[in-house]
Amino acid sequence: MLFYAAKRIGLTAVIVTAIVFTLFCLIHLIPGDPAAVALGPYATPEMEARFIEKMQLDKPVHVRFLSFAWNALQGNLGEDIFSERPVSRIVAEALPYTIALAFASLGWAILIGIPLGCFSAAHPNSWIDRLTGVISIATITIPSFVVSIYSLLIFSVTLRWFPVIGAGEAGDLGDQLWHLVLPAFAVGLGWVGYLARMVRASMLEVLGETHIRSARAFGLPERVVVYRYALRVAILPTVTLLGMGFGSAFSGAVFAEIIFSRPGIGKLIYDMVVARNYPVVQGGVMTAAILFVTATLIADLVAAALDPRMRANL
Amino acid sequence: MLQEGISRRDLMLGAGVLTAGCLTGEVIYAQGRTILRSRNKADIESLDPLTMGTTQEREVMTATLPRLARVVTTGGAYDWEPSVYVESFEIVDDTTIAFKLKPGFNWSSDFGELTAEDVKYSFERAKGDSQWKDKWAAFDRVEVTGEYSGNIVLAYPFPAFTLTVLAHGMACVVSRAAVEAAGGKYTVEMPATCGPYMVKEWIPKQRMSLVPDPQWPGEKPDFDEVQAILVAEITAAELAYEAGELDVTQISPEGFLRYEEALPAGSAIANAGHLNYAWLGMNTEHPKLSDIRVRKAIQHAIDVDTALQAGFSGSVIKANGIIPPGLAGHREKSGYDYDPEKARAVLAEAGVSGLELDLKTMNLPERLVIAQVFQANLAAVGIKVNIIPLEVGTYWNQGREKKGEEWKDLQIYLTRFGGGLDPSGYVNWFVKEQIGNWNWERWTDPEFEELYLAAAKESDTEKRAEMYLRMQQIMEDTGAYVWLWHDPESFIHRTAIVPSIVPGGEFEYAYFKKA
Repeated sequence: MLFYAAKRIGLTAVIVTAIVFTLFCLIHLIPGDPAAVALGPYATPEMEARFIEKMQLDKPVHVRFLSFAWNALQGNLGEDIFSERPVSRIVAEALPYTIALAFASLGWAILIGIPLGCFSAAHPNSWIDRLTGVISIATITIPSFVVSIYSLLIFSVTLRWFPVIGAGEAGDLGDQLWHLVLPAFAVGLGWVGYLARMVRASMLEVLGETHIRSARAFGLPERVVVYRYALRVAILPTVTLLGMGFGSAFSGAVFAEIIFSRPGIGKLIYDMVVARNYPVVQGGVMTAAILFVTATLIADLVAAALDPRMRANL
Repeated sequence: MLQEGISRRDLMLGAGVLTAGCLTGEVIYAQGRTILRSRNKADIESLDPLTMGTTQEREVMTATLPRLARVVTTGGAYDWEPSVYVESFEIVDDTTIAFKLKPGFNWSSDFGELTAEDVKYSFERAKGDSQWKDKWAAFDRVEVTGEYSGNIVLAYPFPAFTLTVLAHGMACVVSRAAVEAAGGKYTVEMPATCGPYMVKEWIPKQRMSLVPDPQWPGEKPDFDEVQAILVAEITAAELAYEAGELDVTQISPEGFLRYEEALPAGSAIANAGHLNYAWLGMNTEHPKLSDIRVRKAIQHAIDVDTALQAGFSGSVIKANGIIPPGLAGHREKSGYDYDPEKARAVLAEAGVSGLELDLKTMNLPERLVIAQVFQANLAAVGIKVNIIPLEVGTYWNQGREKKGEEWKDLQIYLTRFGGGLDPSGYVNWFVKEQIGNWNWERWTDPEFEELYLAAAKESDTEKRAEMYLRMQQIMEDTGAYVWLWHDPESFIHRTAIVPSIVPGGEFEYAYFKKA
């Protein structure tokens, strides 16, 4: 297990480096003059020259990347070019809001999706199974930004049940949870369907296996057979999926954060790309990439812990 | 791994703790006070007059730092008045302004009283290494004549100096002692304030909160707190307003039309100045457009009224030049009319047929609609137009020589600039030295150059206006312009508040009142 974990962690480091380098190059391929966009069309040549020097835009991309990577290894992600605040601090301020949104989104999706999948598998081809299937597919196919916009218009603007903007008052947990409801609903809705379909498919396969037949033959209650024996095995693919889901929730969070004006890392990266504030973009992207692959790594390690056969496959 | 000591229950507990940990902060929100909630369209990056750049930064600065003058609008024209910090303010001659500060305005953090030395330090610092140093070009020095008094000396006559510089956020005064103690510069942590409001807290990427300064000797502001909440997307801000989470916000052209049809209860729309100016430009050096008759034909072919109705439903003022209403030199009428017959005749006279042009525009909804109207207008006179929508950063490179090769093939383009409170800030983009930079039409005229220099120094308002009118006539005579619109900065607000918005669209929080 330790060897498996070490190999996965090593691979994770390579993946993070590759992601950051690729995105680093892509950022610099964005059309438009960074100085013109960042400083506005009326910036003087002196201002543009200062900007270019500060951003190292006069140096080749690989030089800038190596400089960034070397500093990042020492915990220095650079400075915001306008406010001169440390990027690490800016990212650290935004990160909790996105992590909270990702956990809340997947959390409610797990609470609804997994029992729904189990119930469907336990009652295959019943009307409730068919209804669950329709609802699942529907939730999967509706993009999270559409859910965000409509939920905002219905529940915030029209009914005024939930707030439109922000993440709530710092220190007021209730207010923060209140502000989290609609974004988490929007980001997590698709995952309810995914999880329900995934668990249903796995459960149907497991429920047909011999050890389940044996359990039933011993007269164990159906609830115990389904939720204690079958689900334990059927949940394995779902655990791996959840690792990916965390990363997916991150990307879904970008739209939700823009629409609900939440100060998370997705919105931070979006705003900074628009402003061509490269140091913050680089720091934000690197952090997001690390979170994504770390979530995947944790999911893989958990799956390997639950199923020793997986440790043989890297 | 789980068998080695961590159960699934532990895992779930850990995740729960992590989630809860992410949600906790440190500040408790105060209830039961009069709070004004406005929209910030971008986060605060700098509150130092040297490096600040955005509207929302100036809004905070003008509420928390002294200025010598402020902008006022009288009968649709823009003027200035001495600020509350000033006891006397006199234009002595073309290059000297004498001022005397009122005593008793104290800097926070025990940095003493506001003095003329602070004014001298602030202005001379701004002229030296400032993002705004071009605007300070006419300024030479401040001569301190007493603890509270001094003379502002200009390097050359510039009648608009008070309105365009002293009344602007770039001329906010800082405490010399405080800034020097901070190392000579700062960004968002203001070392000392001296205004009706002071900064309560700044939560990055969320909001800036201001509260009345208890040591402010003047009239207490009407609001117990101002929360400038960051909502980058204007449509999100409109929804937040409709949901009751903002009290005042700028609105988009689409929002303006929507609210004109159905204004939310207890709301009103306020327009700041129409200081923006848009036109259809033509590159006079491009082979397809080098014949002035082709350009004149395009002037006659464009139906501006229809285009503005399609793009803005009449919510903007039709432009007849670049200088907007309220400023010296504003034109009431252009020298050409929409006349497709004449356009066809002029094209025939020039021997042009089968002309095909690229029309570049920023990819904004209203501009794309207007571009399509132009496309139809020009098709009606035999000119085929290909609309090329561009993202903002790419668009602003199109006519600039040092940004690539695009300028060589620039043909016609729909563009819009924003200006200040003096006409000199409108015509400066079209002088000879701007060819290859912002003079995308790429023409030059000796009379225009002379007038440009002379008008900036002319103190007679009527003569000045005549000069700017003449300059716009010269521009129009090149055939390189179809004047389009002056759009306002529009805002929606609760009728329970009376907003104070300067013509450029900045909030003056200290002057916001309860209705």
